[in-house]
Amino acid sequence: MSEINEATQRQEASGDTGVKAGVQKTEGAKRLRQLDMARSQFATRVRQRWAALPRWVRVATLLAFIAVLYGLPNLNIPFIRTESIAFSSVLFTCAVYVLVAVGLNVVIGLAGLLDLGYIGFFAVGAYSVAVFGSPQSEIATEYPWLALIPIAIALSMVSGVILGMPTLRLRGDYLAIVTLGFGEIVRLIAVNSSITNGQQGISQVPRPPGEIDGERIFGVVSARPYYWLALTVVLICMLGVRQLENSRVGRAWLAIREDEDAAELMGVPAFRFKLWAFAIGAALGGLSGALFASRQGYINSNSFDLLLSILFVAAVVLGGSGNMLGVTLGAILIAYLPEKLRDFSEDLPEYRFLAFGLALVVIMIFRPQGLIPSRRRAVELKDRQEEVTVGG
Amino acid sequence: MLLELSDVTLRYGRIQALHGISLTVNEGEIVALIGANGAGKTTTMRAISGLRPIASGRIIFNGEDITRLRPDQRVLRGLCQAPEGRGIFPGMTVLENLEMGAYTRRDKAGIAADMKRVFELFPRLAERRNQPGGTLSGGEQQMLAVGRALMAHPKLLLLDEPSMGLAPMLIQQIFSIITEINKQGTTVLLVEQNAQQALSRAHRAYVLETGRIVKAGTGQELLHDEAVREAYLGVA
Repeated sequence: MSEINEATQRQEASGDTGVKAGVQKTEGAKRLRQLDMARSQFATRVRQRWAALPRWVRVATLLAFIAVLYGLPNLNIPFIRTESIAFSSVLFTCAVYVLVAVGLNVVIGLAGLLDLGYIGFFAVGAYSVAVFGSPQSEIATEYPWLALIPIAIALSMVSGVILGMPTLRLRGDYLAIVTLGFGEIVRLIAVNSSITNGQQGISQVPRPPGEIDGERIFGVVSARPYYWLALTVVLICMLGVRQLENSRVGRAWLAIREDEDAAELMGVPAFRFKLWAFAIGAALGGLSGALFASRQGYINSNSFDLLLSILFVAAVVLGGSGNMLGVTLGAILIAYLPEKLRDFSEDLPEYRFLAFGLALVVIMIFRPQGLIPSRRRAVELKDRQEEVTVGG
Repeated sequence: MLLELSDVTLRYGRIQALHGISLTVNEGEIVALIGANGAGKTTTMRAISGLRPIASGRIIFNGEDITRLRPDQRVLRGLCQAPEGRGIFPGMTVLENLEMGAYTRRDKAGIAADMKRVFELFPRLAERRNQPGGTLSGGEQQMLAVGRALMAHPKLLLLDEPSMGLAPMLIQQIFSIITEINKQGTTVLLVEQNAQQALSRAHRAYVLETGRIVKAGTGQELLHDEAVREAYLGVA
C-alpha cells in the first residue's frame, strides 16, 4: 500500500511543477493575491475565534444583534440613516430584498440552478394578495390578509413546480434562458390580463390585521411595523433554510450542484430535489412579493420588470452565492445603496444601474466567488477553472 | 447471472451510439469492456447505470428488469458506478464524498464498517479525510471515486476508466486494488482503454467497436488473440 502513496506523491509533485511553469503572474496580480490571502486568513481567524466561544456567548451575541436589527428604525444612527426617505421604509425594502435573496440562494447557491426569472414568483405572490384580497380586483373575493399569505405561498410554489417540471431536465445556460422567458411571460400576463388590470394595476391591497387603541398597526404612514414584520419573516425563513441546508436535502443539493451525474450515480434522485429547490425558492419569492404588495397597497405590471429580476440575481452573485450571510449582504447593498445615494443628489439614483454594472464587473474580476463566498463554492470554482485549463 | 444486457441500443439524438449490445456479468466476476475512443464503452456504462435512457433492448439486474428504472432506484438495488475521470465532488471533503457514496443507506453500523474497509484499501484517503476533494491529485481523486462507489456497498461495481490519466505505477496499483475488491466479494464490470491491464485482470472481456460487440472471451483468450493484440495492445 505504501507504494501507492509514493506513486501518488510522485504524480502530485510532477503536476505541481507543471502548474508553476504554466502560470506566470504580473507583480500587481501577485500583490492582489497576497492581499486576498491576508484577508482570507483574517476571515478564517475570525471564524475560528467565533466557533471557539462558548455557546451561550454566541447565542447572546446573536440575540443582541437581532435586538439591534429590531431597534434600527428608532436608533437613528448617523451616516446609516437616510435623510431624504423615511429610514424605516428603506429598511423594509432591504428586508424584502434579503428574503428574495435567501429564496433565490436556495435555487442558485444551494442547488446550483441559474434562475433569471425569479421575479416571476415575486409577481405571483404579489398578485395573489392583490387579486384575492382587494375589493378593486375583478374576482373581489376579499379574503382576509392572514388567508392571503398561505394562498400566495401555495400559488407561487405551484408556479415553481409548473415551470420546473418541463425545464429542470435542461442544464446550465439553457435553464437560465428558459427561466428568463418565464419571468417575461408572467410580466406580460400581468400587463395584458384583465384580472391583473395591466398598467392601471390593483389598489386597496389588504394590509396585515391588528389594532391598538382603535388605530391600525399597519397603517399607510409609518413603515416601521412592516419592517418589523418583514424582519421577523426573514429571520424565521433563514432559520428554516439553514436547517434544510444541513439536512439530507441540503447534502443532495450540494452534490447536484457540484456534479449532477455523480450525484445521480450515488443514488440522489436529482430531478426531484431540483424540483424541491425550485418550489422552496418560489415559495420564498412569493412570500416576499406578498409582503411587498401588502406594504405598497397598490401594484401594477411596472413593478415586476426584467431589471428587478437581474438585480435579484446580482444580489446573490455579488454577496457570495451559497453563503447565507453573503447573499444577505448583497441584497442589503442592492436595496440600500440607491436609496442612500438620494441623500447626495436626486439624480444619482438614475446612475445606479451604471454603478451596479461597473461594481459587478469589478467584483467578478477580483472576487468571482462573491463578497462573502461559500468555502465550498470557492473550491468548486477553482476546480472548474483547472478543468478548463487542463481541457483547453 | 447478475447483469444481463440484451440487444441494447442507445442514441444521442440522430446518432446511434449503441447498435444492439448484449452482454452478461456473473456473480463474483471481473468483466472488462475494452475498445478505442468512441467505441461506446462509456455510453454502455451510462445505459447500465441509467444516466441515459436506452432506445430498445432490456437490462436485467439480479433477476429484475431495471430497463425503465431511474439511476437512484438502480443504486438502491445494488448497482453503483464510479464515474469517469474527475467525477468526485470537489467542494466536499474526502469524508463527505465517501458519506455521499452511502447516501441511500441507513444502516449506521454497515456504513462505518465500509468506511473502515475503504480506508484500509486506500490509506491515502484516510490521511486526507478532511481535505476538499478538488485539492487531491489525479490519482487520489480516482481512488476517492472508487472508494465512494464502494460506500454504496454494491452487488455490482461499475468502473469507468479507473486508470484514466494515471501514471503507469498507479495504474498497476489501482488494478491490484480492483482485484482485491473482487476477492472480497464484489462483482466488477469495468471499462478500460488500458487493454493490457484490463485483460490480464479480468475473468472475461468484451471488445467494443463503433457501438457493437465484436469479440468476447476470457481475459487470457483475448490477451493472446492476434487481432486484439494488433488493435489494442500495440503488438504487430
